[in-house]
Amino acid sequence: MRTVLCFGDSNTHGQMPGKGPTDRYGPHQRWPGVMRQALGSSWLVIEEGLSGRTTVHEDPIEGPHKSGRRYLTPCIQSHAPLDLVILMLGTNDLKIRYGQPPSEVAMGINVLVHDIRELTAGPNGSQPEIMIVAPPPMLADLHEWNSVFAGAPEKSQRLAIEFEMIADSLECHFFDAATVATCHPDDGFHLGEEAHKALGLALAQEVEAVGWPENA
Amino acid sequence: MLDGELYILPDMRFAPPKQLRIADRSDGLNPERVRSYNERLVLSLLLQNEGISRLEIGSRTKLSQQTVSVIVRSLEQEGLLARGQALRGRVGPPTIPVLLNPDGAFSVGIDLGSLHTEVVLIDFMGGVRFHTKVAPHRPGELDTSSIIHDAVNQALLTLPADVRARVTGIGLAMPDDGNTLSGARETPSQERLLQQELEQKFKLPVFVQNDITAAVGAEMMFGATRTSSDYLFFYIDALLHCRLVLNNHVYTGNQSVAAGSSDAGLLSLKREILRNDSMPFDPLTSDWTQLGDALDRWRSECIGALKKSTRALSQFVDLQLIVISASVPSEVTESICKDLQHALTGIKIKSGELRTAPKAVGAGSLPFISRFTVQH
Repeated sequence: MRTVLCFGDSNTHGQMPGKGPTDRYGPHQRWPGVMRQALGSSWLVIEEGLSGRTTVHEDPIEGPHKSGRRYLTPCIQSHAPLDLVILMLGTNDLKIRYGQPPSEVAMGINVLVHDIRELTAGPNGSQPEIMIVAPPPMLADLHEWNSVFAGAPEKSQRLAIEFEMIADSLECHFFDAATVATCHPDDGFHLGEEAHKALGLALAQEVEAVGWPENA
Repeated sequence: MLDGELYILPDMRFAPPKQLRIADRSDGLNPERVRSYNERLVLSLLLQNEGISRLEIGSRTKLSQQTVSVIVRSLEQEGLLARGQALRGRVGPPTIPVLLNPDGAFSVGIDLGSLHTEVVLIDFMGGVRFHTKVAPHRPGELDTSSIIHDAVNQALLTLPADVRARVTGIGLAMPDDGNTLSGARETPSQERLLQQELEQKFKLPVFVQNDITAAVGAEMMFGATRTSSDYLFFYIDALLHCRLVLNNHVYTGNQSVAAGSSDAGLLSLKREILRNDSMPFDPLTSDWTQLGDALDRWRSECIGALKKSTRALSQFVDLQLIVISASVPSEVTESICKDLQHALTGIKIKSGELRTAPKAVGAGSLPFISRFTVQH
């Protein structure tokens, strides 16, 4: 059996667009669940999505635990051995409080990739495969989140290309979620049920396309 | 700095990403200079084995799955590769084949034959998109050069203007043993002249190869021998030509005594026909079903020569496969294969898979080899 860890933010957690922080899609509705069903019994799919998670920034308002880097090590070690780690982060880094351009968000992903590789949490002390997933661009109207994410929708358009450059230079798998899903208009940055389904199915196919030797 | 933590400076881990060629995202083919060895390795593999999975690419190239992922993605972006549909077997995970995109690249192939010059435009999978026959090239005669130029131009014009940038070059196949129907011989300087003219006129690289070796290359890249590395190859042209392929290396034989060629080809057939009547015969246009006894007599002569060459080589090489290609109707090739198979048990006899202008198609494969593959 193979193991994949889905390390992300509220869009991996399955938070519903335009609802409260506790409104979450069910286990079969959110993308890691859709992917789990598509991959079948040969894969263990671990969901690690936290609302507000950034790549490397401790949140001065919501708390230091929102830093993906801070939680990454205990998380990876808890679930090791891992065949694959899927990273889908970056949207929260675009909050005005961090003041980051898209290229710096990609540098945050770069740091996480290096951290994952140093932990050698793959089978038999190897490095797990890593797949960077660029979140779909935010919509122009973020409703009550407009001020928190001031300037972010425009920056989010460049996340995919910046992430792909990082994926190329670090030799990681890469998928641009915008090729199959868009954010939901109810809040402009969360994925609706249809988007979760499309993303889960597409990522299952991406995971399979990597190619996994039998009995390894 | 926290106590007990050791920082090694400078920390190269967090340097900005290297500007790789994929990063520029522009549509269309990337220029030749930036194609990496690993990309060529992957493309070479795909040209030989269409539709293999990324897992197979990784295991055959010894590249990591993540490196394969980056290369395949960048080649998809360039339009050279297309992603196939997942194939779900009864057991095991589905495999997703990586496919060549036939529209990813094109090239022009020219075969300077003795009866005709043939010009083709081929796609990335060897599909013939354009084919024409023009008067044979007579070195020194200006007309024949300009006829070739016109034919190449016509070939290029079959592609929409925005796709023409995907034409990677021109291949020129020419006989170099002097034993052609007309007896014309390309001198090296005249070869270079035509090559230079084409290069200047079309602003494309021009590659030159012996025509029979080009026919071998065409079957190797697009036809009957994609997965075979050792075989004997016959080409029935004006003369009967022979090439030995060992570990994908083509051995031509000793040119000065024409060991690679024997006089049991179409010149011999022409003599047989002339012996009966004075009917003019052109192998590319005449009706072969009306040849009667002359064809039968020539065929036995040809099969005799094929057997003789095969037996001679069998003393030195353990032959498993013979491929016969020809510029004759496919029924004639098939019947020769069948008769030869009857005479030579223990060796598999196959006819070439390229029906249209195999030598020109082989010439067309030369720019692909130069631009996309690992050359040995």
